[in-house]
Amino acid sequence: MGRDMDGLTVRSTASPQLMVDAESAADDWVARLSVAGRVRDDAIARLHALMLRAARHQVGRMPEAGALGAARREEIVQSAADEATVSVLSRLGTFEGRSRFTTWAYKFAILHAGVEVRRAAWSNREIRLDDVPEPSETRTSAPEAFAEGRDLANAVRVGMAEALTPHQRRVAVAVLVDEVPIDVLAERLGTNRGALYKTLHDARKRLRAHLRAHGYLPAETSTEVNP
Amino acid sequence: MNERVRLTPEAIDRLTANTEPWLSCDDCFEQLDVIIDGLTRSNLPLPDAFRVHLMTCPACDEEARSLAALVGAVIR
Repeated sequence: MGRDMDGLTVRSTASPQLMVDAESAADDWVARLSVAGRVRDDAIARLHALMLRAARHQVGRMPEAGALGAARREEIVQSAADEATVSVLSRLGTFEGRSRFTTWAYKFAILHAGVEVRRAAWSNREIRLDDVPEPSETRTSAPEAFAEGRDLANAVRVGMAEALTPHQRRVAVAVLVDEVPIDVLAERLGTNRGALYKTLHDARKRLRAHLRAHGYLPAETSTEVNP
Repeated sequence: MNERVRLTPEAIDRLTANTEPWLSCDDCFEQLDVIIDGLTRSNLPLPDAFRVHLMTCPACDEEARSLAALVGAVIR
């Protein structure tokens, strides 16, 4: 039994035929979006409908979208679908057919809608990006104080003050402590999600090394993977 | 650190999370559709780097779960 994927029929159960159908559907999408004239216009209209579906799905899943109001939510849906359509068309040559075309295209709408909702939800909220001051009692970084206190929270505070750069501290406090969405902070700092995630990765490595050195984390193994 | 910062146990978990094996947000996005489509066909576990990234990047995680829900896959 097949199910309709916005005009393209694929099977709903895993089978060799599924892959054949998916590949044919992808070829069909790419071909129609690549030619000139009425065929392409129709394909773009169908693609935009797909993007609307995915953007609406994403906005509908986000609790923070509820407070934005119906009109603002619909604006975001339309804007995200427009942006996603442009993204798909501009990246059509990079589609390798390793997934269904629709799955590949949906992710652009979900990304744009998610980012827009997060930014809209925080649009009137202040984000403090002051550098985190040094702890008032720096002697707590002494080994004997660690041994006596065994206070992980304090060790983390000291580690953040001593092991992180000011930029790493500001980003870590905003995203990991104050829970500012990474896309919101990226917009305020004029950067992007990927750059901030890399900053957090480096900060976490430094902090973990500091905590390991003071006996708060076990020695790292080469095969360590988060549970 | 100043007084407004409250290090809850959850915040400490986020601060000390191990983000190895490394995967960037861009690479996560690149792989997203292939991995999610794969989940609709098999029960294979997520690649380690992808799983770790989703555990430590709430935005990418939210979008991956949304895409999975849209195409009928489940991220465990």
